[in-house]
Order: sequence, then structure tokens, then C-alpha cells
Amino acid sequence: MAQFINTVFNCVSLSSIILLTSLGLAITFGLMKVINMAHGEFLMIGAYMTYVVQNIFEKFFPESMFSLYYFFALAAAFAVTFLLGAVLERFVISRLYGREVDSLLATWGISIILQQAARSIFGMQGVNVKAPSFLNGGITIGACTFSYNRIFILGMVILCMILVWYIMYRSNFGKQMRAVMQNRAMAQCMGINSRKVDMLTFSFGSGLAGLAGCSVALLGSIDSTIGQNYIVNSFIAVVLGGVGRLTGTVLGSSVIGFASIGIENYTSASIAKAAVLFIVIVVLQFRPQGLFAIKSRKLDE
Amino acid sequence: MKKNKIAAILLSSVLAVSLAGCGGGSKGDSGEDTVKVGILYSATGSMAISEGAVKDAEVLAIDEINEAGGILGKQIEYIEEDGASEPSTFATKAEKLIDQDKVKTVFGCWTSASRKAVKPVFEEYGNLLWYPVQYEGMESSSNIIYTGAAPNQQIVPAIDYLIDQGYKKFFLLGSDYVFPRTANMIINAQCKAKGVEVVGEEYAQMDQTDFGSIISKIEAAKPDVIINTLNGTGNLSFFKQMSEKNYTADDYMTMSFSIAEEEVKTIGADILKGHMVSWNYYMSTDTPENKAFVEAYQKAYGSDRVTSDPAEAAYDAVYLWKAAVEKAESFEPEDVIAAVEEGGITFDAPEGTVEIDGENHHLIKPVRIGVINADGQIDTVKETEPVVPDPYLKSYDWAVEADLQPLE
Amino acid sequence: MRLKNKGYHICFAVIVAILALMPLLLSAGVITSSSFVLFLGKCIAFSIVAIGLDLIWGYTGILSLGHGLYFALGGYAMAMFLKLQATGGKITSFMQTGGMTELPVIWRPFLYAPLAMILVVAVPGILAGVIGFFIFRNRIKGVYFSIISQALTWAAYSLFTGLQSYTGGNVGITEITSLLGSIKGDSNRGKMFLLFYICLAVLVLIYILSGFLTQKKFGKLLIAIRDGENRTYFSGYCVSRYKNFIYVLSAVFAGIAGAIFVNFNGSITPAQMTISYSITMVIWVAVGGRGTLVGAVLGAFLINICDYNFSSGTMVEIWQYILGAIFVLTILFFKGGLVGIVRDQLPEWKKKLTRREVEQHGK
Repeated sequence: MAQFINTVFNCVSLSSIILLTSLGLAITFGLMKVINMAHGEFLMIGAYMTYVVQNIFEKFFPESMFSLYYFFALAAAFAVTFLLGAVLERFVISRLYGREVDSLLATWGISIILQQAARSIFGMQGVNVKAPSFLNGGITIGACTFSYNRIFILGMVILCMILVWYIMYRSNFGKQMRAVMQNRAMAQCMGINSRKVDMLTFSFGSGLAGLAGCSVALLGSIDSTIGQNYIVNSFIAVVLGGVGRLTGTVLGSSVIGFASIGIENYTSASIAKAAVLFIVIVVLQFRPQGLFAIKSRKLDE
Repeated sequence: MKKNKIAAILLSSVLAVSLAGCGGGSKGDSGEDTVKVGILYSATGSMAISEGAVKDAEVLAIDEINEAGGILGKQIEYIEEDGASEPSTFATKAEKLIDQDKVKTVFGCWTSASRKAVKPVFEEYGNLLWYPVQYEGMESSSNIIYTGAAPNQQIVPAIDYLIDQGYKKFFLLGSDYVFPRTANMIINAQCKAKGVEVVGEEYAQMDQTDFGSIISKIEAAKPDVIINTLNGTGNLSFFKQMSEKNYTADDYMTMSFSIAEEEVKTIGADILKGHMVSWNYYMSTDTPENKAFVEAYQKAYGSDRVTSDPAEAAYDAVYLWKAAVEKAESFEPEDVIAAVEEGGITFDAPEGTVEIDGENHHLIKPVRIGVINADGQIDTVKETEPVVPDPYLKSYDWAVEADLQPLE
Repeated sequence: MRLKNKGYHICFAVIVAILALMPLLLSAGVITSSSFVLFLGKCIAFSIVAIGLDLIWGYTGILSLGHGLYFALGGYAMAMFLKLQATGGKITSFMQTGGMTELPVIWRPFLYAPLAMILVVAVPGILAGVIGFFIFRNRIKGVYFSIISQALTWAAYSLFTGLQSYTGGNVGITEITSLLGSIKGDSNRGKMFLLFYICLAVLVLIYILSGFLTQKKFGKLLIAIRDGENRTYFSGYCVSRYKNFIYVLSAVFAGIAGAIFVNFNGSITPAQMTISYSITMVIWVAVGGRGTLVGAVLGAFLINICDYNFSSGTMVEIWQYILGAIFVLTILFFKGGLVGIVRDQLPEWKKKLTRREVEQHGK
């Protein structure tokens, strides 16, 4: 029993991490149809921001305040990636709307530049952040131990989900955003500043990547290639779930998370990875638009 | 049609110019007073995190030698190439260094994959590679000097030590590539011969970030000790996620073969405190040579930098090359190899005096089992006399019985 | 046959002529290092896979981010054959490490040279055929196709690193010589030149075949699919069949390229089937100029030669920035790549310049 609960917790935890890293993509890719290969590097920037803020706190603030650094790191990570997203949108992405495949290649170039920038600034060696004291260790119930880190990330995902849901479906901005994405010309006629909406949407998606980076910084080392470890999984989760649907992304992440852990329990990690990807490919054969497709009569989509 | 012709001429001239620029760009022999060597590590890609420190140690040694007057009156000039964490790039770049830049020797490679990719290049050109990392053994090329530990200078004594300490149930955890696979093959044979049980064997992917499933398997197997051959970023994820579950060295002891001071610094001493490692050198090793080495290293690269076994082995490599060149009185690789094979090339290294075994090109070096302390340093708990390298484990009965010798 | 696009063909002929001259220049001592010619041999392999990619991306509009897989499969097929030649048909050391005592079944066909050579093209071809059949029948296109091709490549990569006792894992298959024996060093120059010219001939053949295909009605159809897939359907063509054919062809080219690469490189590793390696291949085509065969060839040579020369010493850092910037700028401003610059932008600039001169004269 304990082992079963453990496994389920592992599955949920992995799913939540994948979901967190793919939420931003669900917006930039799902809604805007922009394939941002540099999304992983935004995640990396978020992780490095955590490291920077931690160092600032270590140097300039009393030790009693140290644990608070993490909240500032979250804010800093969001802010920096939000701004970088805005810059990227303004100078690169905005020229590539309607050229999805080209946006993929151009952002690949950006990701090469950002990775080298990380190496130039922070050195080739990986760095590590200390988790704030309230996230150290885990809570033991019976024979199972649930780590605070994982629980925190789970909470983080739920918070982000609510935030995204609220912004997309309940706020005025969300209404404008969806209007622009569904029918740009019509939205412009209604007086919506579509350029501004584009920029804000993309920046928001990038900001979410920063938050995700801040969270995964707790789980492993931070180096210039950390983004690459997560990005492909995230893309696959978004495509599997169905582009443009939040529920789809949740389901896509869960399928990958549960399948990975489930299969890995019986085989090795490499084989599990191959098997999960193979399952995804097969599923997409039957549902090319993903599990939750938006029904549309458009031919060229 | 005219437009097309212009296009053709322009495009081909672009290519012609670039080709000419490259092919003709090679200088022949360098000047009278310098000798060229190559340094070949990854500056980009996923392995750059590990390979940087080793390169730094080699550059330090070269600078020291140059300052002291060089070798045979010549200053050393080094040419750096980027292997981009990709074995075939390593092979291409090794060839470029040897054939185009005409270097006299190359210091380089970290992963076994890159070493195996460049090995034929060095053999066919008759050049010499100095490989500074502990590795899985089962190899002895006449054109490579292995300055890191052979299995019998790291893995085998560590397992013996654990058995002596009364550990009975071993769990083997490694990254999915050749070093852990081969190391575990050796450990399995050794455990079988010594009557201890291996309760599990798991391999993580190189870029794996989630160890939840593997930790569950460890919990289910209930080992006394985990033999850890994870490499790179996997170590940090694994230990962080172990500590998330409140596990310390008291719950699951680990013996690691790829965690040196560098990794301890990144992972954090609070997490690693009490865990065991096995190497030939620690930053805390108490020799006068080491004091000077650590001081010089930190002076050159910053006081927050730490030295580690691979960095020290890389540092030794440069000095051993110097000793071999001076003995051969020639920079030519074949003369240097001949000098090495005559034997007696020694260097008073930070880890103690090391000597190149002329027969199998590995180093005779001491083994040190260590425990990580709360300050991020490693305390030596057992130190042996210098051990003669035995890459094929021919002198171990259990290894011969288990038929571990490779075919080729 | 009347030749269209004469300029491109002249350009390709010049490239081939320069390449053919390289060994002669080496013998004459104009260039001193034979390793550079050897490296150009690898570039020939890269340009072949670039032609394949150009056929499906530049012409047909299918972006594959997984051609590294087919490249590596061709490479592995060749390497398995060469490895068995080297071991004399016995098992390899990684199989022994994996606890095997006899040759696994999947390795058996590679004992026979003709069969192995067929498998070099058959393995990537058949895999691409099966994958393409399902994907194109289900009308998966655009970025969805790209992401599925990524997933496929990643799955294969995991499988190849995981099945160490069959594939050599991360190390791959090493310590093999070329089909003609050792080609390194001065003493083996003759063999190296022969191999170089054979591979150059393969490149020319593939270029002619691709040029022939794209100039016929078939090529026009590919472009029609790229520019308006549904209209092509409505015109009564079975688009998926055409797409599948060109996808298989391009995978076969990639397989041949991989086999050539192994001959010059002396090893094959799973690093060749990573996603980033595959995207790099696409970038060659983008920088050279998509939609023209010579652009693909040119891009593969230029990027690789620059990479060869600039990724060393203190240049490493700067080169990464330049490389990234080249990609971004090419995609943003020069959609046609280098070929596009020469074909479209240069005449325009020239026109502007002359116009300005005329205006100045007027004043």
C-alpha cells in the first residue's frame, strides 16, 4: 500500500513538473502558434535568477531573512523573463507571425545565444541553490514520505493554473487575447490593439517559464543546458493534450508523467522514455489534433 | 539568365574564398622557441560543466612550466579546441590538432565516448593523448597515457573496503553509459566472488531530472549501501531528491566514484555529509606539493574554486609529459612514448609521487577512501601505498574467473 | 534536355570542381593538411543530408526535426558492417560487457557486404515509409509533424543509449576503418583520395537525381503541396502518397549520408541522432537557401567549415553568439538564405544604387 501511494505521489509530482514547464508553452504555442524553442532557456534564466537573488540575500541581508529570498526570487524570475519575452516578441517574434516553422528556427538561434550567455556570465560549472529552510526535507505519514519541495511545486502549479485560467477566461485582457487569437482582423476592427495583446500574451507565457525555472531550480543543478532537459517533454505534452486548451495541457502532462513513472517501475529509465514517446506518437496518429482538440471547420490549420 | 550567372559566380566565389582561407590557414612548424600542444575539451554542450575545471588545471601547469623556463629551452604554446560534448567532433578536432596544427601532444577528453572516438585517430597518426579522468579500464592504447585511476585503483579497493566494513547488501546505481555499465560488471563479479549480495542495479538517463522512480526501487530493495556511478547533473538531482525524503548517510550510505570536491560544492555539504567517495587525491591531501598546487590554483582562478582528483590528474599529466620529454630529449611523440615505455617517469604530484607504468601507460598511484565532512572537504579514512595499475584486472583471480577481459 | 536554372547548376559545378581540386592541391603541397580534406569528406555527407532535407522542407514544406535519426541509422548500418569486418565476424566488446556470447540476430545480416549495403538505404527508407504512411494519411502537417519527428528521434536516441549490449550505448560503434581500409595519415593518402572522389561522385549523382525530380512535373507538384496542400488535394492528387515518397527518398539520402560520414569519421554515436543535431541540419539548409538544391549544399559546407575553424581557442564564445545571430538574421530578413541574398536582394540593392546615382546626376 505504502509503495502504491509513493508511486502515485511520484506520478503526480512528475506530472506537475511537466505541467509547470509547459503552461507557458500552452500559451505561446497553443494560443499564439509561436514555437518558441528558447522557452527552455527562459526556464534556465528563471533558475539562474533564483541563484542570483539567493546570493544577494546571502550577502546583504541578515541570516534570519534568508528563507524569504525564495519569494523574491519568484518575483524576480517572473519579471526578468517577462521583460525578455517582451523584447523577443518585439524584435523577433512579431516579424514571424504566420510563419510557425520559421519562428521555431529563429528561436533556436536565440536559444544558442542565451545558452552561451549563461556560460559567459555564470561560468561553465553548474550552480546550486539552497532550498529555503521551510522546504527542506519532507513530511512522513505512515511509511510514506512526501517532500515539501514536491508539495510546494504541486501548489505552485495549481496557483499558476488558477492565474492562467483567471487571466484567460475571466479578465478583460483574456477576452481581448482570445479574440485576437481567434480572429485577428475582426478583433482589430473592434478597436483592440492587437500588437499590444500579442506582446503581453507572449511576455506572460515567458514569465510563466521563469516561474517554472525558479521551481525546478529546487530539484537539480542549474547549468546552461537545463532548459533542454525540459523543453521537448513540454512540447510533447502540449501537442498531446491538444493545442489551445488548458485542460488538454493538464491531461497531456499527466499522461506523460504517469506513463513515465509507471513504465520505469518495470524497466529502465531509457526504455521507459522510448516507450512513452512511442505511445505519444501512436496516440497522435489517432487524434492528430491532440486529446482535446478545438473543433474547427477551417481547412488550413 | 544573366542574373543566374552572376549568382553562380558570386556564390562559388564565397565558397572558394572560405575554402582557401581554411586550407591555407595552417602554419607549418612553429618558431624555434616554442612547442605546440593541444587542449581538447568541451566548451559548449552538456559536458562543459565538468570539463572546464580540468582544462584550467592543465593551463595552470603549462603557465608554471613556461614561467620556470619551459621544456628543453622551449616555451609551451597551447591550442584549445572545443569538442562540443560530441564524440565525432572530438575526433574531427583531434585530427585537426595533430595534422593541421602539428601539435606534439594533446591533453584532453573527459567522457569515455570521446576517448574511444579519438583513440584510433591518435593511433593512426602516432600522436600521444593524455587522458586525465578515472575510467572503466579494459583499455591500454600505446598512444594514450591514462593519468586517472584504473578500476583497481578506485573501484576495486572501494568495494573491498566496504566489505571489510561489514556492508552486505549493495545497490548499483549509475548513468546509462559505458563507465557505470563496465564498473558494475566488475563490481558484480567482485561481489559474487566475495559472497556479498547485489540487491539491485539501475541506470538513469544522462539528462534525467526526476529520480522518484529510482528512489522507490532503492527503498524496495533495502540495501546497506548504494554504489553510485552517476555522472554530471544526475548526481545533484539524485542527492537532492534523497534528502527531500529525509534520507541521510545514516539511512542509505553511498559510495560514489564521480563525486569530487567540485560536485560537493555544487550539491552542498549539508546534503552529502557522511557519504563516502573513492579517489586518489583530495583537496585536503596533506603533502607540501598539494599545498602549493591548491594555492596556485586558487590564485589563478579565484579563492572560491576547489581542486579535485580529475583536475589534479590533469595537472600531473602536463608535468609527466615534461618529464618524459626531458628524458627523451625530444618532443616527437614516438620518442616520448619510447621514453615512457622504458619506465621511470615520475612526478612528485600533489597526491604523492606518481610513476607511469611503462607497460600499460597508467599511473602507479595511491588509493584514498574518503568521507565527506560538513565543510565540503573530504577526509581520508583509508590510504594505501601506491597501487600498480591493472586496467584488465589480470592479477585478480575473481576477475579472471568471471572472464572480464575484453576480446579485442 | 533543356536545362533550367542554369546559374544554380553552374554554381554546383564550381563547388564540385573546387572539391575535386582539393586532393590535387594537397598533393601539390598548396594546402598542407590532409585532415582538412578528410573533414571535407564529412562535409560531403552533410551536404547530401541537406539535399534530402531541402527536398522535403524547401520544396514540399514538411519540416522534419528528426533527420538525424535517418542519418544515424544509415551510419549505424554501415558501422555495424565495418565493425564486423574489423572483428572478423566475432562479437564486439560491448556485447561481451552486456553478457552475450554470440552475435545477436539483428547483427547477422551485416556480415554480408551486399546485404549490408542494401540495409544502409533500406533501414532508414522502410522506417520513414512506415512512419510517413501513418502520419501523412492522417494529414498531420506543419508544426505537428515537426514535433512528432522530434519525439521519434528522442525515442530512438533513448533506445540506442539504453540497449547498450546491442548498440554500444553512448559510445556507439568505434574503432572502425573505412570501406577501403585506413585513410588517415600521409601513407594512406591514395585510399583517402579514392574514397573522397567516390563520395563526391555520390553527391553529384544525388544532386542530378534531385535536380531531375524537381524539374519534372513531380517537382512542380511538390511546390504545389507546399503552397496550397488542400488545393492540390482538390485538383485530384493523392497528396499523402507524394509526400510519403519524397519523405522516404529524403530519409534514404540521409542514410547514404550517414554511411559516408562513418567512413570518414571512423565511428558513429547516438549523438548523431539527437534533436539538436537534427535542427542544426535544418539550419544548414536555411542559411544556404531553402528551395534550391545548391543552397542546401552551400549551407552545409559553409556552416561546417566555419564551425571547424572558429570553434577553437578564444573564438569559441564569440562564435556561438555569431552562429546564433546568423540563424536569427537569416530567418528574419533573408528567407532565401545565401542564395536568396544573391538572387533577390543583391539585384535590388544594385537597382537602388544605380537609381540613386541617376538621381544625383539629375541634380
